[in-house]
Amino acid sequence: MFRQSLAVTLINLKSIPQRPGMSIATIISVALVVGVLLGFSAMANGFRATVQGTGSQDVAIFLRSGAQAELNSGLSRDEVRLIEEAPGLARDSGGEAIASAELYVIVDGTKRSSGTDANIPLRGVGEDAALLRQNFELVEGRMFAPGSNDLVVGRSVQREFSGFEMGEEIRLGNNNWQIVGVFSTGGTVFDSEIWADLGVIQNLYNRGSGVQTVRARLENPDAIERVRAYAENEPRLNLDVQAEQAYYASQAGATSDLIMYLGWPLSIAMAIGAFAGAWNTLYSSVDRRTREIATLRAIGFSGFPAFVGTMAEALMLSAIGGLVGAAAVYLLFNGVSASTLGGSFTQIVFSFAVTPSAIIAGIVMALVIGFLGGLVPAIRAARVPILAVHAD
Amino acid sequence: MNRATLVRKSLFRKKVRAILLILSIAIAFFIFGALGAFYKAFNSGVEVAAADRLVTVNKINFTVTMPLAYQARVAQVEGVRNVSHASWFGGYYQEPQNFVQTFAVDPETYLIAYDELTLPPEQREAFLTDRTCLAAGRALANQYGWSLGDRIPLLSNIWQQQDGSSAWDFTICAIFDADDDAVPTNYAIFHYDYFNETLAFNRDQLGWLIVSTTDPALNAEVSQAIDALFANSPAETETTTEAAFTQAFLEQIGNIGLILTSVIGAAFATILMIVGTTMVLAVDERTKEIAVMKTLGFTAPSIFAMTLGEVFLLSLLGGLIGLGLAWTLVSLAAESLAGFIPGLGISLDIALIALALMVGLALLTGLLPAMRAMNVQISTALGKL
Repeated sequence: MFRQSLAVTLINLKSIPQRPGMSIATIISVALVVGVLLGFSAMANGFRATVQGTGSQDVAIFLRSGAQAELNSGLSRDEVRLIEEAPGLARDSGGEAIASAELYVIVDGTKRSSGTDANIPLRGVGEDAALLRQNFELVEGRMFAPGSNDLVVGRSVQREFSGFEMGEEIRLGNNNWQIVGVFSTGGTVFDSEIWADLGVIQNLYNRGSGVQTVRARLENPDAIERVRAYAENEPRLNLDVQAEQAYYASQAGATSDLIMYLGWPLSIAMAIGAFAGAWNTLYSSVDRRTREIATLRAIGFSGFPAFVGTMAEALMLSAIGGLVGAAAVYLLFNGVSASTLGGSFTQIVFSFAVTPSAIIAGIVMALVIGFLGGLVPAIRAARVPILAVHAD
Repeated sequence: MNRATLVRKSLFRKKVRAILLILSIAIAFFIFGALGAFYKAFNSGVEVAAADRLVTVNKINFTVTMPLAYQARVAQVEGVRNVSHASWFGGYYQEPQNFVQTFAVDPETYLIAYDELTLPPEQREAFLTDRTCLAAGRALANQYGWSLGDRIPLLSNIWQQQDGSSAWDFTICAIFDADDDAVPTNYAIFHYDYFNETLAFNRDQLGWLIVSTTDPALNAEVSQAIDALFANSPAETETTTEAAFTQAFLEQIGNIGLILTSVIGAAFATILMIVGTTMVLAVDERTKEIAVMKTLGFTAPSIFAMTLGEVFLLSLLGGLIGLGLAWTLVSLAAESLAGFIPGLGISLDIALIALALMVGLALLTGLLPAMRAMNVQISTALGKL
């Protein structure tokens, strides 16, 4: 039985070139389905990886209660002082909390892809800001000088927006800034930001001594509970305290879920179309070989090898389609930079990421199309009557 | 048996094959119809933008506020018919997840600026006179089950009152509709004064100006005049048409058009290949039959027409089924999504484009098989036995 199946399978596969048109149509249609699925998941995964990779567990972020996003929050100088006194915060040798009070304003940048203005976060930060970001490094130039109109820009900002070249002057609103450095935090959301001195931004944007958020290093990740308890018991504070990692993780979900809510139904709908195509192709393949299959039956082959042979052809075509689709998406899209509006109403730059698990999902989908498309034709092949030897 | 019957019979001579082809065509048109409807609704802000409406925002970014006094100064610019303003409230109802799009507006000028919003005269009057009135759009009111007279506290995730509270109490005294389904009513508006006088910080600032010009032809001139007015001031402005402003905002989300076009393109590439190759095969199988028909006196042009007719029938059947499915889905989704994507529906232009695509598909996939059928030589076809 095994040898019979093998023999028929070989006949099937070797005869594929005799039906080039329909076989190629099947391969390409499966490839397109897999391509659409992988395209959407590369987008969703890339966005999720960027946002979820942002923030560390041992940094606490303090927002005004109910603010939900940095942009909406606001804290006074007194509140900042109270926060810095919280227990559970890591302190330097001088006993000062390692904390950064930050302002978050939105400015317009010109998107390279469309030439239109888009929201970029301009973050006013102090000295500790860089210490509180994992993997922070200056890739070019230097940090801004306090009190100056120096600007350092994230590497992703440079990639997606024009006018942020090193050493150039840029006008944001009615202020001119000098770009003195480029920083990277290893592809996190911070790479989509531009930073300047806190005092300068407070002054230019009439914020007095107010800030929007405070970030502070925790003694350890569990210390967040002590900080939270302190904030709740202090009547002068009205805050939401979150681990920075949790804050960003909660922002990743909605957008990437939305992308896949669109991606899955579309690729499943297209898969039904490709399934119809595969069925059709295999049907005509069996049709054309009716006499051949009947002959095999006449010389003693059972129906099962005919089933296996047809099924193998179906799976072969769809697997090739799946691989072609996956390879095409990988070559065309993997690493491609894009940006979209994120949780704080600003652009988040991310790279398309074609992940191994998405490729596996794509190949599985291809094989399911092949299996379902081949099933009925294969059963039909197994049932070809011996008398069909005389078929014309 | 007339020609139409003959076309129908030959299409369905292999039932499974015909059904599979119709299915794959239907899927492609289903995707086209559904995505087209979503894309159109997504872009409706650009289409419903009034030609004479301009938006003035802070040049730094539209989230940065400007002095309230700007309204009066812009009103004096020549060619300006009406100036209103709005501020983002960042509202939510009860829980932060229950996001409510809410704007603090200058009521009288706002209703002049957005004259596509309709509300009964007594409700309009109530909205203009009652400072704690919240005028809710129909879609929003439906979403939260609000009706006239309800007292609703809305919380803001940005603003605070002087007493530290971030809740404002409102009475729903008006529910507005729009004269066109594509105009969103998924938001609420209330009196700027009620908001401004209770604010703990950022008082006497406005979010953006809505400027109506006396004539759309003056738009460019008026825009320049407004921006010149505030040049070199601490809050410079940028004035664009409402359509351009909306378009730029949509661009921020991403190139949705390109993504959707690629998907639709992929779906159509699939059916082009499947239908095209299958039809060539179907004609090849029938070579002898066609030769017999020619022998019986069918002319070459009529064979051509009948083969092409078969592909047209296939394309139209599949296309209309797919479009019908899309219409059903979109109609079902329209109501539940009214709060997020207003004006969802398969419009006439989407249906017309779909029809054109059906014809195009039939021609692209049918011409080659029809030519081959027409050129069948009786002697060669019947000769090879």
